[in-house]
Amino acid sequence: MAKRGVGMRGRTLVAVVLGAFVLVALSIVWRRTVGIGESDRLAQLEAKRAGLEGERVRLESEIRDASTRQTLGATVERKLGMHIPTDKQVVILPRTSR
Amino acid sequence: MKAPTRVAVVHAFFVLFALALVARAAKVQVVEGNQWVARGKRQHFFASALSAPRGEILDASGNTLVESREMTRVALALPEVRDTAFILRALQRARLDASAVHAAIARRRRWIDLPGLYTASDVASISKLNGVHLTPVLQRVYGNSGGIKRIVGSLDGRGNALDGLELALDSLLRGDSGRVRLARDNNGRPLESPDGWTDEPRPGSTVVLTINNTLQDICERELSIAVDSLKAEGGDIVVMNPHTGEILALASNRVGRTTFGNTAVTEPFEPGSTLKPFIAASLLEHQRARPTDVVSTHNGKLELDGRVITDMHKASALSLADVIRFSSNIGIVQFGQRLTPREKYETFRDLGFGMPLGVPLPAEAAGTLHEPRQWSRQTSASILMGYEIAVTPLQLVTAYSAIANGGELLEPHLVKEVRALNGDVTYRAQTRAVRRVMSGEVARTIQQMLLAVVQQGTATRADLATFEVAGKSGTARRTSTNAGYTAGNYTASFVGLFPGNDPQYVVLVKLDNPKGAHYAGGEIAAPVTQIVLRAALAARDAALDREGLAASERSTIAQAPDHAPAKSAAAAGARFVRARGDATDPVDRASYDPSDNLRPPSPDEGTASYLVDLPASPRPGVVAPIALTPRAIPDVRGMSIREAVRALHSAGFRVRIVTASSSGTLPAAGAMAAPGSLVQLTRPLE
Repeated sequence: MAKRGVGMRGRTLVAVVLGAFVLVALSIVWRRTVGIGESDRLAQLEAKRAGLEGERVRLESEIRDASTRQTLGATVERKLGMHIPTDKQVVILPRTSR
Repeated sequence: MKAPTRVAVVHAFFVLFALALVARAAKVQVVEGNQWVARGKRQHFFASALSAPRGEILDASGNTLVESREMTRVALALPEVRDTAFILRALQRARLDASAVHAAIARRRRWIDLPGLYTASDVASISKLNGVHLTPVLQRVYGNSGGIKRIVGSLDGRGNALDGLELALDSLLRGDSGRVRLARDNNGRPLESPDGWTDEPRPGSTVVLTINNTLQDICERELSIAVDSLKAEGGDIVVMNPHTGEILALASNRVGRTTFGNTAVTEPFEPGSTLKPFIAASLLEHQRARPTDVVSTHNGKLELDGRVITDMHKASALSLADVIRFSSNIGIVQFGQRLTPREKYETFRDLGFGMPLGVPLPAEAAGTLHEPRQWSRQTSASILMGYEIAVTPLQLVTAYSAIANGGELLEPHLVKEVRALNGDVTYRAQTRAVRRVMSGEVARTIQQMLLAVVQQGTATRADLATFEVAGKSGTARRTSTNAGYTAGNYTASFVGLFPGNDPQYVVLVKLDNPKGAHYAGGEIAAPVTQIVLRAALAARDAALDREGLAASERSTIAQAPDHAPAKSAAAAGARFVRARGDATDPVDRASYDPSDNLRPPSPDEGTASYLVDLPASPRPGVVAPIALTPRAIPDVRGMSIREAVRALHSAGFRVRIVTASSSGTLPAAGAMAAPGSLVQLTRPLE
């Protein structure tokens, strides 16, 4: 009976070790899968950030282009009747010391 | 001996097999372990270059002129593509140019680089497809106009600098690229991995230019309008701070031909009469003449060395000051005979003509200045009139800066600062005098002569009402290919010093081959200078010292209402040829008096008659016209200066502040005056 009990403990131990091995292997696979997924998502977000950053640069450049005198000058003269003031119309106030 | 049982044989076989496996495993793991590990890493990991962000280029006020953005280049590996038709449909859905793919398939190519660069969002839908390879690429974004691009240059599709500052300062802007080790997934796509490493790239430095973006914008617009309206072949405008050598604006325009680099630096021209002040300076410096010395100018026609020299302003005699004022060719040739050829040559050589100035722009031209031993019989006279010598616009402005700053030729510079990533300034331009080319006294005398040119000479159209402008106009004949000097081909130029009594700008306006009745520098280049100066005065930030300007304002106050007819913007071109109230050549030759050339201008002369005042081009229904009926001047007694100015401005008056023993306004409070009139606000002495 005692001999039988020793045998049972040995098989149980092997089963436990094997089970633990499977669990560890599964956790490693799971961790890698999650890691790869996260990495993929990170790469997508990084690409999105770069794309948005590029878009920001493009829009800022377009705003700068649209605000130049070359672009705006003719329009504001034609539609709004604006003009370059003469130097007599420009008043320079001297700084007063208080 | 008992024969082994069948079971024992089988056991032995398994034991041997197990031993063989262990031995093989030991060999692979222990003996060849490192080799296999390396092979595995090669398969699973790869190193990729990380391009360094290229440095920004800013203007002097910190506005971005050039920056980089990340774009994506798309490539297809056809052997990896399972369904070509599917890929083509996906490319079309993503609005990518698939025509190159069709062509490459027809030619059985294995790798296709799609033309163009795309944003990450453009290519997001195709990024996971087999055979699609995306590579991040940094693209340069050039803001503003094409003029800035002629200064900063450009990059090719691979990010290599081609010209301009991008090329000259490539080592600073480029930075150092880095490397990253990434894992590969089962499809060969890159994958971030904890086992990877990154050698971070070092971004390029930020370069701050001396260019003032506002002034550059003003110059480009006015140059563009002038070139269009005058049907010129092109033109250049250069603005420099004469006290530091900083190039504030560098605009160039060429019609119908592609130019490389900035023509203000790369294309020399024969400057014509704009060189005369330097001969006058040399005469004064060598004590060969005084401003009041008079020579015969032969009533505008002189035969010399087998050719006829003529003057537009025909006079029997002119002083040196008036030779400059009326741009007399005969006069300068007569005076110039007092200098030896070597002295003439050295005058121009010392001003930096005939050699590059060293600004960081590729292909800077040296110009042409021959040594006296190479001169022909006529060169000695030609060079005095600005022929047989070629200078770049930048060289000419640099030389005039010496007149403006009291006689020192400064090294011009275009780069103000270079900043590292952390903001530390690694380079800051210093004002550097190359040499003294004339004494301060001579420089001041020449400035006075140049003031007379604008006030009463050939360039009255550059004049402003409230500030003095000094300058010199030039009109030089141009050569045509294989035809020499041809009739009707001119270079019109004007170099202005603003304000004339304490210059903050030296402005050169040059127009190539204008078509039409007006072609003289004083007639067409001077008005462009005037408009540039007016626009700069009205701009918020145009590199002007307002305190200094306030001190330089003319003390005269216009008494007459300033309501010249409103200018139509549509007739912008006409302003370059519109005649002023007085003639271009206002001197009565019969009453010529050599001593009157330097007399101070009368108040009437100081105020121009070509003003545009509010309201300009009012359009019914768009801008409410301002009532021009007289209104009462408000009472500002007891108010602070600021409040008083605000009250007067609100009432529609312009204000001039003066200091006197009593306070008040002139006209007095309650007096009726037209809106827009100038009211003198007196501030009591402290």
